[in-house]
Amino acid sequence: MERRSRRILRPAVVLAPVLALSLAACGGDSEGASVDGIELVSDGQLTTCTHLPYEPFQFREGEEIVGFDVDLVDLVAEDLGVEQAIVDTPFDTIQSGADLDTGKCDVAAAGMTINDVREENIDFADPYFDASQALLVAADSDIEGEADLAGLRVAVQTGTTGQEWARENLPDSELVTFEDLALLTAYVQNGEVDAGINDNGVLYDFAGDNPDVAVVAEFDTGEQYGVAVRTGNDALRERINEVLAAAREDGRYDEIYEKWFGTAPAGDDAAEGEDAEDTEADDTEADAEEGAADEESESSESAEDSEN
Amino acid sequence: MSKRQRAKVIRGVQYAILIAAVLLIIVAADWGQIQRAFFNMDVAANLFPTVITVALGNTIFYTVLGFALGLGLGLVLALMRLSSVAPYRWISGIYIEFFRGLPAMLVFLAVGVGIPYAFDTRLDRNVQIMVALGLVGAAYIAETIRAGIQAVPKGQIEAARSLGMSPTRTMITVIIPQAFRIVLPPLTNELILLTKDSSLAFFLGSTLAQQELAQFGREALNTNQSMTPVLVVGVCYLIITIPLSFVSRALEKRFGKGVARKQAKASATRSGGQ
Repeated sequence: MERRSRRILRPAVVLAPVLALSLAACGGDSEGASVDGIELVSDGQLTTCTHLPYEPFQFREGEEIVGFDVDLVDLVAEDLGVEQAIVDTPFDTIQSGADLDTGKCDVAAAGMTINDVREENIDFADPYFDASQALLVAADSDIEGEADLAGLRVAVQTGTTGQEWARENLPDSELVTFEDLALLTAYVQNGEVDAGINDNGVLYDFAGDNPDVAVVAEFDTGEQYGVAVRTGNDALRERINEVLAAAREDGRYDEIYEKWFGTAPAGDDAAEGEDAEDTEADDTEADAEEGAADEESESSESAEDSEN
Repeated sequence: MSKRQRAKVIRGVQYAILIAAVLLIIVAADWGQIQRAFFNMDVAANLFPTVITVALGNTIFYTVLGFALGLGLGLVLALMRLSSVAPYRWISGIYIEFFRGLPAMLVFLAVGVGIPYAFDTRLDRNVQIMVALGLVGAAYIAETIRAGIQAVPKGQIEAARSLGMSPTRTMITVIIPQAFRIVLPPLTNELILLTKDSSLAFFLGSTLAQQELAQFGREALNTNQSMTPVLVVGVCYLIITIPLSFVSRALEKRFGKGVARKQAKASATRSGGQ
């Protein structure tokens, strides 16, 4: 058996490297092309990484992915003369820079807050949206704000700034981490957790569609969303900045904003949002209870004020 | 109480427990809620036909890719494990322990994120899925095939060799076919496991057209705020896996009968010859 099996093995062992080689050969095919000196990971496409769903920033509508972020990146793609292709991937690998570094996509647009930790791994273009953290609870809940959360179960989304904020500011709460925004909201709805924390834009949108929950407070964190590119990809980053600036200038930004949030942006100044904050928290409960899915309603309007 | 009476009572109690448990579940469950959450027909209708044409199709495609590589690599690893060259045995052993011991999720992350970092190359997404699923599958399949090869009676090798077959030819035409027949049930098992592991393709990112069942279901769950998509997707997995079990059982039966008949025939001729 000994001698025999050695000879038997020869063809088999030769196979292994052949297999490995053929695999490697398959790999190198999709070499990117460049447009105006900007390298793209796949020819004729601006590939965007995001994490679905994050309504109204990106979510599925029929067979398409639509949303605020999608429309903004579309402007950039249009400017480059290419089509946008969207890839759904875990938020962890977006914000850690892994997706951009490994060439899965050219830009990341995922309702992502610009912060120092992320800046180390990815490069952000100029901010395109102002956000804060908000508190979602059942409509009949007694919770009114941060002070009521001690000892309760609070849902956060993994890898988000909301999770970070909760870790720092809610030492007495039991934090329950969820992979998706919608798992988080589902658990708030079914009462498994007492409250959920996420960005105000999406939570207002959700509360507007679901009268059994309400946004009762906002925690002003002065956050701003940014589109990200791979570290050092300045050509693309600058191009995005140019497109954003031009869009703000000629009203296309306002148009897109109104399309998804129902109102015009209150102002391009981030500081304004901070001023509006105090009054906002008080109004919110009443507003959210109106359960206004209607885009022109007061509730989305007040959500707007706080965001900007 | 006689022995028979006691057995009767015990059986009666067992039935009672079973019925009580079923009744308890029926009474305790909130059926209205379950229906709202899991059987929302409006939501379900919206999932079709995409859930079949795209999600189910991709799941099958990814599984077939992974299984093909897993089977090839697994066979090589099994032969290495049985090699008389010690380093081959070590490599194979380490490989199997490594990939059998790691959660498949980590392997997917390593392939999706690790390979591009390490080799500065971008594999096509389908190749990534094939590699990740194949690497995991190969570790299990290798052990299965090795067991199968070892289970082939030694007399088969001796007989083939004495007929003048080369060792390679013996392995390919005599041993491996018999080994595969023996390991058919555990191989089916592995195929079913890979079907479910293909859900981890999520870690490699996907466009809408590349979504497989689990990701499709999760996204639909999140968008519709209903558990119905999860149920639909679950049924889709069963559509794949249950027929697989049937096919495997049918094949087993057929091969099994074939073997029995051949063996009977062989022994008959042998005795007749004597």
